[in-house]
Amino acid sequence: MSASGRILAEIRRNRRPMRFLGASGQLGYGIPTPAFNAGLARKPDLIGCDMGSIDIGPTYLGKGEMATSPEATRRDLRKVLHGARSLDVPLVIGSAGSAGAAAHLDATVAMMRDIARADGLSFRMAVIRADMPRPMLLEASKAGRIIGLDDMPPLTDDDIVNAANIVGQMGMSSFRRALAEDVDVIIAGRACDTAIFASLPTMLGFPAGLSVHMAKIIECASLCCVPGGRDAILAELDDEGFVLESMNPDRRATPTSVAAHSMYEQSDPFTVHEPEGALDLSNAQYEAVDDRRARVSGAVWHDTTEPTIKMEGAIKIGERAVLLAGAADPRFIAQSKDIVSKLSDLVRDLVCEDQPEDYTLRFRVYGVDGVRMVVPENEAPPGEVFIMGECIAPTRERASEVVRTCKQYLLHYGYQGRLSTAGNLAFPFTPPEVSLGPAYRFNVYHLLKLDDPDAPFPMEIETL
Amino acid sequence: MKLSEIAQVIRSKNAGPRRLTLDVMFASDADYQRVAQSPALTAETIGRLYRVSPEEVTIIPYPVGRAIKVVLARKIMAGDPGDFDVYGAQQHAPLLGIEI
Repeated sequence: MSASGRILAEIRRNRRPMRFLGASGQLGYGIPTPAFNAGLARKPDLIGCDMGSIDIGPTYLGKGEMATSPEATRRDLRKVLHGARSLDVPLVIGSAGSAGAAAHLDATVAMMRDIARADGLSFRMAVIRADMPRPMLLEASKAGRIIGLDDMPPLTDDDIVNAANIVGQMGMSSFRRALAEDVDVIIAGRACDTAIFASLPTMLGFPAGLSVHMAKIIECASLCCVPGGRDAILAELDDEGFVLESMNPDRRATPTSVAAHSMYEQSDPFTVHEPEGALDLSNAQYEAVDDRRARVSGAVWHDTTEPTIKMEGAIKIGERAVLLAGAADPRFIAQSKDIVSKLSDLVRDLVCEDQPEDYTLRFRVYGVDGVRMVVPENEAPPGEVFIMGECIAPTRERASEVVRTCKQYLLHYGYQGRLSTAGNLAFPFTPPEVSLGPAYRFNVYHLLKLDDPDAPFPMEIETL
Repeated sequence: MKLSEIAQVIRSKNAGPRRLTLDVMFASDADYQRVAQSPALTAETIGRLYRVSPEEVTIIPYPVGRAIKVVLARKIMAGDPGDFDVYGAQQHAPLLGIEI
């Protein structure tokens, strides 16, 4: 029997509190070994890791690349796989490869196969895909079952057809289907981070509100602690609540630190929407067990009659190249916004002599207004600035042409009152122009209404 | 007294790619109450600091976390051309100087 079958049978036979080890909130950036090993020593019933997020922006999703390095990702996967196999407990990984589309999932699965082969491990692995079939989306769109999130404009058929990748966040029902198949490892494409941990206890009748709330906290490892950090965290769940304990003795889960974590990256600290329902935290309670463990209770789950899947998609918008340079002349800095604006016109006249203006060019002057939404009036000018020119063009060559032209003409631009006639820019290195490859933007951030929230997520099982 | 002298945490981050959330957290219930009951941290104040209309600002008191959450629409979706802070993690500075 494999790990999920064993643990399901064991808890059904002998009902007891369950332990969950949140090994990493972002697998692939390193998992601190001492805390992870301390977690293994506590004999968790499941080890879970989240691998992805939408925070990293559209390019990874569009391009099908991981945000983490292959070396560090392989090291982390190896660590959690060995840990789970040593205890014979399920290893559940969600949002494989940073963005959870086919390319990310396949790369993660390939690493798991390599590790199994190299280390002589054998196990049963479920692989769940999260790519949304385009014909299904076109049909859903026609039927009015796709709704923009947070004022996102309505989805067009062109968006559906032309997106490089569109994924849906699978929920608990997909993980439960895998756990029921008697597996040791689950690798899921884009997934709700809560489903990684909440699927198993809810199959065993633990209250869904508590299970999902626990999952929401431990998917970020020890981030809910003071001081927050990346170390593994252990949660022990019973029918009335759960206890959180960081596996790094220096991190304390206090009632306030845990309560505060529930608002992290959420626009509403009291409600978490999931495919199959909503988590209601209005009556959640947080108590100290001792100075580094907190007990949490009171969360309530409301099933929905209208399941939804949150979708994310990215579309290619061109090739990106940037120019990186500094400046320290007070007169140049004082006029910098005007200079880059005039330079953009000058460059356009040069590079569009025999071609259309088929690119966008933006300058950002760090030190002046590179970072902030709003700049206070009458701010004192900085002593030096960093200038970034960014071009997005149809081809890599065109983007490169634009920023290289910018470099030369900005270096020698003759502004009002110029004294430093040998050059306006300080380059930290040359070439100061960098081609960054294809650029994407999110063109899908929508909810898909459907009867069965598990339907779009096909699963394969392989034995290694 | 400035908000940065009372708060334990003042941070910003995306809540999804189209919303920015600003969290102000306090070390004690007394500090939390002082700011929560102050007329200084209102939709009007935040709207003025971030140059958006007060109707676009949501303020959510969260006493159990000794925190106040502010939610704004991002003017540019995270990662779109022209974005300047993909994670939204450096948009908290205007809050630091609010006089309580």
